[in-house]
Amino acid sequence: MRHHYWEWPIPTYLFLGGLGGGIFCLAAILSFFVYPDVPMMGEVLAWPGFLGICALGFGCIMLVVDLGQPMVFYRAFVKSTSVLAWGARFLTVCAIFGVLWFASYVPWDWFAPIAGFLVPFRGFCLAIAGLSGTCIMLYTGIFLSTLKAHAFWATPALPVLFTVSALSTACAAIALSIGWWPAPFTLESVIVAELSKEILHTVDIILVVVEIVVLLVMVLSFLGAGNKTANKAAHRWVHGSYAPLFWGGMIFGGLLLPEILYVFGGHSAASTLVAPVLVLLGGLLLRFMVVLSDDRAPLPGEDRYYTRIADKDDKFVKAWTYGENIF
Amino acid sequence: MTRYVMVIDQRRCIGCHSCTVACRTWNDLPLDIVYNPVLTEGVKGTWPNVHRSWLPTLCMHCEKPACVPCCPTGASHQDEDGVVWIDYDKCMACLACVNACPYGMRDQSKLQPRLHRFVRKCTFCRDHRAADPGAEPYCVATCHQKARIFGDLDDPNSEVSKLIGSVETVRLLEDLGTGPQIYYIPELGGKA
Repeated sequence: MRHHYWEWPIPTYLFLGGLGGGIFCLAAILSFFVYPDVPMMGEVLAWPGFLGICALGFGCIMLVVDLGQPMVFYRAFVKSTSVLAWGARFLTVCAIFGVLWFASYVPWDWFAPIAGFLVPFRGFCLAIAGLSGTCIMLYTGIFLSTLKAHAFWATPALPVLFTVSALSTACAAIALSIGWWPAPFTLESVIVAELSKEILHTVDIILVVVEIVVLLVMVLSFLGAGNKTANKAAHRWVHGSYAPLFWGGMIFGGLLLPEILYVFGGHSAASTLVAPVLVLLGGLLLRFMVVLSDDRAPLPGEDRYYTRIADKDDKFVKAWTYGENIF
Repeated sequence: MTRYVMVIDQRRCIGCHSCTVACRTWNDLPLDIVYNPVLTEGVKGTWPNVHRSWLPTLCMHCEKPACVPCCPTGASHQDEDGVVWIDYDKCMACLACVNACPYGMRDQSKLQPRLHRFVRKCTFCRDHRAADPGAEPYCVATCHQKARIFGDLDDPNSEVSKLIGSVETVRLLEDLGTGPQIYYIPELGGKA
């Protein structure tokens, strides 16, 4: 039985949250472990960091928009044991420290006192943003996999898939935007940006392969050995109504084609521009298809019942106003 | 300790939907919300050997409810007597609990104003019983076939204890491990 309680803002958020978290995770890894002694690294990564902040901010807006009571979104921070509450905290921490880190690189004259004040804390801010970004990547998949009412989500493969996809899309986004403003247009910054792109392309080649393997293992294992509900969803993916999107959109367009372009495209626009964009679109499509596969084991007669009661668009239903019952 | 449960005798249910109507009326539910749908798979068998069974449902008030720990605001509660309910003043309608419920017994009304929606569910008429401790949930009180029986499982003299101890009962989707507290007495030869 499919209800689609969550509509388009939620898969959009899952994509943007993972993307933003992944960007800060990779920015921290590149800064602290790959090029720790290159002073230009921060400037070169600042614009991807800004895109990460935008992704997190827009993702938060998607989350709030989807609430039944958007004005009281702050209640999400209350309960300590809920995965969702922890996700809200990671999002907030990552966005705040990401903004502080980016602000320290803003070169405007009028902003210089604030940027100057933040410069000593750059490393600390990026470390916190990177750590919380990693947690965001992990929690999105973990949260869905804890909802065991939905058999297609309740698998340990889902957090792995979402995390790998988040890292992959973050690689693509950084590769697309690294080295832009506020990095100065100097030989050093161009070299650092190009070297980073090479690393990111190589990492993304590996991540896309891992993603293909995890995705196929998850879907095909449900197809072969999942319970009835998960099996039904997997059938829809492999040779049902989702098959064109799964095989054509996600596997070929979002994973195989960018992989081929990465490997054989050299430094052409196909490799540096088209492939990352396809990876990003594939990541978005993955979130949509997973969230829309919210099949729940139906109770006996449940499908029949809900197809026979009044539709929510029926005229007399819409004419009813809340609070007008006579009792 | 008190442990409220409900026994539903499918041998007695005739599918009149009185429980649904009573619940909707007394709880003043929006038109697109049903707390206790009465389900049926229709007529089964081949003429003249045909039969039809009914499955009255409601929130299972699970022993380990999946809908409570996932709530980020603490709006989803479980009382010590096992009743699962929602504090509407804390709910922000993120629908995490709605997605967590394996029985589909939570929902928000889309007929309510867009900025004032909250998730609703059966509470075993918690407010009604708080005002009148001897009262039963409306769906139980209205069932003229006595197909719904409500009571304290920890009281050995209660009707529900005696029924669960003496008659074979089944629970829905028990393999999920949530410990549903609605016990069904299947119709003769049938399953819940």
